[in-house]
Amino acid sequence: MIKPRAALSAAVLLLALTACGGGQSAAPEPGSSASGALNPVKVSVIPILDVAPIYLGEQQGFFAAEGLKLEIVTAQGGAAIVPAVVSGQVDVGFSNFTSLILARSKGLPIKVVAPGVASTGVAGKDFGGVVVKAGSPIKSAADLAGKKVAVNTLNNINDTTVRASIRAAGGDAKNVSFTELAFPDMLAALDKGNVDAVQVVEPFLATAVKNGDRVVASNYVDTAPGLAIAGYFTSQQTAAGKADLIKRFTAAMLKSLRYATDNPDAVRQVLLKYTKIDAALTGSLTLPTFPTEVDRASLETLAKLATQDGLVESSPDLTELLP
Amino acid sequence: MTAATLGRRSPPPSWLLGLAGLAGLVGIVELAPRAGLVDERYLPPFSAMAAALAEQAATAEFWRSLLETLRGWATGLAIAMVAGVALGLVIGGVPPLRAALNSTIEFLRPIPSVALIPLAVLLFGTDMRSTLLLVVYASFWQVLVQVLYGVRDVDPVARETARSYRFRPFTQVRTVIWPTALPYVMTGFRLGAAVALILEITGELIIGSPGLGRQIAVAQTSGAVAAMYALVIVVGLIGVTVNVAARATERRALRWHPSIRRDLAG
Repeated sequence: MIKPRAALSAAVLLLALTACGGGQSAAPEPGSSASGALNPVKVSVIPILDVAPIYLGEQQGFFAAEGLKLEIVTAQGGAAIVPAVVSGQVDVGFSNFTSLILARSKGLPIKVVAPGVASTGVAGKDFGGVVVKAGSPIKSAADLAGKKVAVNTLNNINDTTVRASIRAAGGDAKNVSFTELAFPDMLAALDKGNVDAVQVVEPFLATAVKNGDRVVASNYVDTAPGLAIAGYFTSQQTAAGKADLIKRFTAAMLKSLRYATDNPDAVRQVLLKYTKIDAALTGSLTLPTFPTEVDRASLETLAKLATQDGLVESSPDLTELLP
Repeated sequence: MTAATLGRRSPPPSWLLGLAGLAGLVGIVELAPRAGLVDERYLPPFSAMAAALAEQAATAEFWRSLLETLRGWATGLAIAMVAGVALGLVIGGVPPLRAALNSTIEFLRPIPSVALIPLAVLLFGTDMRSTLLLVVYASFWQVLVQVLYGVRDVDPVARETARSYRFRPFTQVRTVIWPTALPYVMTGFRLGAAVALILEITGELIIGSPGLGRQIAVAQTSGAVAAMYALVIVVGLIGVTVNVAARATERRALRWHPSIRRDLAG
């Protein structure tokens, strides 16, 4: 009767491993030392440059000061964030505004609660842009007509703003062929000549420039001055049911955005904490603007582009979407 | 197995050949980028990966992620083992039930676990339970199907003998069914352990639940190519360890079994 014992000991080993792992996650968070119980607020973000302010705000204790215990959940893409917010798995999510306009026009009950990032408004010095190889015949956005351009998601903010950029330069925006590629794969595809141009954001924009590639258009700048790109949103159920929690989140978030604007070096520092961006590269990144107000005009522009390019039949009611 | 052990005395030993194979791979990954055969920016030389790995290993986050991956894998595998063995014994032990459920099992089993990702995200968001669902779903069928085969393989004479001696159902399971089914259970364990690791990493990578898979995704979105490969190497090493450990467990649990006993073999 020795035989079942070995199988049993394997099972015990598995359970022991499970148990010791379980203890780890129950360890108290270092930030929760403030007196009194903090209300937990779960926020789902993508671990990219855009969300640096929320990590800074956590570090600076802005959320604890509002009586919030911030719990950041990272997702790999906006596709996972919207359902998580709508189903109430998380209280707040981070997404670009075109995605939110699309979701809203499909009737999803979502509401913006805080701004996130905006374009710097300076052509050639934005945190996102269209890049070509050094020797490419493409000299301006107008030359992109008839070319193959990679964007990270089709029918979303990046292809619509690249089209706006082409129109602004007097090119034929209808005649561009967009192809979908993940940001990390774009520069390799550009190198191999699979695509003629790529729309990238930091840190890949700085990497591209370092590689000797050339920026031909700043698509966000060309779309509208200081275009708001993304923000934090919640579901209407959460907004109604946890109104106070959301109000305090917004307050802490605005403080964090202001702090990020005033301390760009702290932004570069905190990147090392939640991303794996090379420390040598952080100094050369172009940081976005961190606005403290949701810019209605930007959303109107994005909604107009979405309608014009056929992403939606008609623009949703932005008053419902805005805070 | 026997050949490998005996081969120790006659050169070259198989483990040395195995190491030479690995060294060759390392050499190719080191030299190909240096010689310009592949672009160093997209496939850095092995030494750069090793340096990035050392850098990762110095962070608390790496070890936390490693633990999270192992915990998710072990929890999922444990649930799949318990559920698979229990249900397998019950379903296998009652022929009408097995006939009734056979088509259902054959329908559910081939559904790729990754196809359940949207469902998992809707149910559990992006925390570890989403990935756990995938891990349990994928490894459960491996175990269940093996247990069903195992129960079917029980010698009818032994079964009838136990019945005519009026063994209670539990005693029948313990003395007649379990010893026959155990080799199958261990096969299910070995297959399940490998599949569970694949789905654990997939879930972390795609859903973004905590663990090494998510660290790989973060390295990718950060453009940290060497760090990404370093983490992929770690995941590969975990795979090797899991496989070796599963085989060792199998050998230990079945050392009485003719397929393992060396004194009978050959």
